[in-house]
Amino acid sequence: MSGDLQKEFGDYTKNLNRASKDTNIETAISRAVKAYRATVSDAMERYPHTPDLAAEVRQIKTDSIANNDALLQQAMESVERNKGKAFYARDKQQALEIVAEIIGKEKIVVKGKSMLGEELHLREYLEEKGNEVWESDLGEFILQLKHDRPMHILSPAIHVPREQVAEIFSKFFGREVPPDIAQEVAIVKDFLRDKYFKAHVGISSANVVAADTGAMVIIENEGNIRLSTAAPPVHIVVVGIEKIVPTFQESMKVAEVTWRYAQYGVPSYVSMISGPSKTGDIEKVTTYGAHGPREFYVVFVDNGRTTMAQDELFSQALHCLRCGGCMYECPVFQVTAGNFGHTYLGGIGSVWTAFVAGGLEKAAPLLYTCLRCGRCVERCPMQIDVPAMVGELRNRIVNGEEKEIGLDSQAS
Amino acid sequence: MAVEMKLPPVLDIIRGNIVKHGNPLALKGAEVASWAKRLSLPAQGEILFYTGGEYQLVPFIDSLVKTMTHMDQGGKGFSLMMGVRNILDKAGINAEKIYASVLAKDKERFNNVCYKAAVILQELGYDLCYGGEQELYSGALLYELGYWQDLREYGQKVVQSLKQSGAKTIVCLSPHAAEVFKLVYPKLVKGFQIEVRTFVEMVWEKRDKLPAVKFDDSVVIHDSCRLARELGIDQELRDIMESVGAAVREPMRSRKWTTCCGGPGKLLFPEISHKIADRRIGELEETGAGVILTSCPYCLAALQGGTKEGSETGVEDLIEFLYRGFAV
Repeated sequence: MSGDLQKEFGDYTKNLNRASKDTNIETAISRAVKAYRATVSDAMERYPHTPDLAAEVRQIKTDSIANNDALLQQAMESVERNKGKAFYARDKQQALEIVAEIIGKEKIVVKGKSMLGEELHLREYLEEKGNEVWESDLGEFILQLKHDRPMHILSPAIHVPREQVAEIFSKFFGREVPPDIAQEVAIVKDFLRDKYFKAHVGISSANVVAADTGAMVIIENEGNIRLSTAAPPVHIVVVGIEKIVPTFQESMKVAEVTWRYAQYGVPSYVSMISGPSKTGDIEKVTTYGAHGPREFYVVFVDNGRTTMAQDELFSQALHCLRCGGCMYECPVFQVTAGNFGHTYLGGIGSVWTAFVAGGLEKAAPLLYTCLRCGRCVERCPMQIDVPAMVGELRNRIVNGEEKEIGLDSQAS
Repeated sequence: MAVEMKLPPVLDIIRGNIVKHGNPLALKGAEVASWAKRLSLPAQGEILFYTGGEYQLVPFIDSLVKTMTHMDQGGKGFSLMMGVRNILDKAGINAEKIYASVLAKDKERFNNVCYKAAVILQELGYDLCYGGEQELYSGALLYELGYWQDLREYGQKVVQSLKQSGAKTIVCLSPHAAEVFKLVYPKLVKGFQIEVRTFVEMVWEKRDKLPAVKFDDSVVIHDSCRLARELGIDQELRDIMESVGAAVREPMRSRKWTTCCGGPGKLLFPEISHKIADRRIGELEETGAGVILTSCPYCLAALQGGTKEGSETGVEDLIEFLYRGFAV
């Protein structure tokens, strides 16, 4: 690998500086940080068992990553046993091809929000293949129309205020949409409701996967996941292999910790989907596709995760629950939002970028943006040591990956 | 497989300065040690007073960043803050001019921080020795920026120079030096066996001997990230303030939740760094305290740079604040 990072750094820095002067970002993030801190501290008081549960989940994740091969095998068997079809995708290209193969051409697809989807550029790929693809998460829908990328993993359109949303919607829907949030929400609801029922395929990811039952656990508030995974005749789950835990019981623990730190307090919806829709109501004959999808596919995506899992220092990055808490506490993120990122955002995002979304070269500017101040570690329910990983990756940028240059357990 | 990537030149220049000149900005030994003339500290002893040249370089940082951002070679967008000695060759800028642009009173202030720290420790009963012009920078930035192979080699030189003092304990003024000695050297550099202490810990142990500081207003403590999170030192600062009779106010984010001053971003992203400092100043000023106290040369530089002109809130290092009690 080689490259002149100076241009990369230059373009990136300009963008970062521009973002830091963007008043939309400043207003939106200031509000978001304040709200996040208040909601989370409130939730911790109401559910004081959370930190202990987080400690338990840390152990579950550590064990699951160490045992990922076997869990993947088991999860795939469970999905098949439930009359779904399970796939393993080694890399991005393979994942895209599997999904495109299932879908075919000229189909209508509704899609839930997914960081993995961003990693794979899934929507763009399916569109290129001649499909009509709709992001069903409101924030992602706004960005789809704006041709922009997510600035936060949970609130992707965090940087777009209502006035700008009104402009975008007015242009798209061809009629005046006032800068009124309720009306903006309503118009998208009407538009997408039609799409859910016309769609041939619904795509979602999953926050957790239970290997024993093959359950895909999906947390959401809007209800778009419910509709996209229930209304179309085909449901495809595209999920990272790091999301698998051994049992259904454990998946619930992971889910609760995820939503608690993700500022959901209590999420409106948690879906647990293990197979296609079925009924045995007539003569006890099992028939598939009763009210929901007749076909159920799960694509387990590796794309560099196994490499991470096998590295003593970096396997912890796979514990990330994508709650987004670290971003609210990151001083750089607070002034630049997702411009401090490349698909994956913030300090932990620089590590993920290095392994699954562009390599060290794309990650380098991000890695050198991190202040290594360590406040994200305090916030992180998994206590992921981002500064240590950023340090080691900087070392790899400078010195290559020869192990003897890294930190010894004991030199003296 | 070796990764060959061309990083922004500033990083390599900082690295070169450290490795060649024993200081990130290639300050001369005589300049770094000038504060000690009045004290004639011995070169050998039990406790080695270690500045690492860090407070001494504080006044040069902003001036350099300003010059280099202005220069902004080829519109690349990032600051090419180069080490002074190298600028001569690489960019044709006169190094002495940049040094000359640093105000004498700023140089004096930060050199004085070292002097004041030594006096305070002596007054508390510690016998100090000091490496003088031979003292080398810890190499913390080599660690920070990924130059670990260089640190392995450079660290050997540092260890040799520390050994010459014969000291059993090293007292670091900068938490960055303390961190790299305490947490990184044992994993990268052979033969490092000196006990590492921070100025704060040494003072805390003898805080009952500190003279009171007459100060009518209150102070707000800005915990440095390294001190609070890596080294676990935060309550000590509050205890010390109690001992000298100063009222402490707490900002919205403090101790393990402290907000970074933005300092680490200064080399590559000066604008972002400045913005972060600005916001942190805002959090600290919200408390209404008269003085912002910190205990890290980079926090001091960043926060000082973040205060608005005409602001009534001063920024002081803990060392400067405590010295008020001795200066009466």
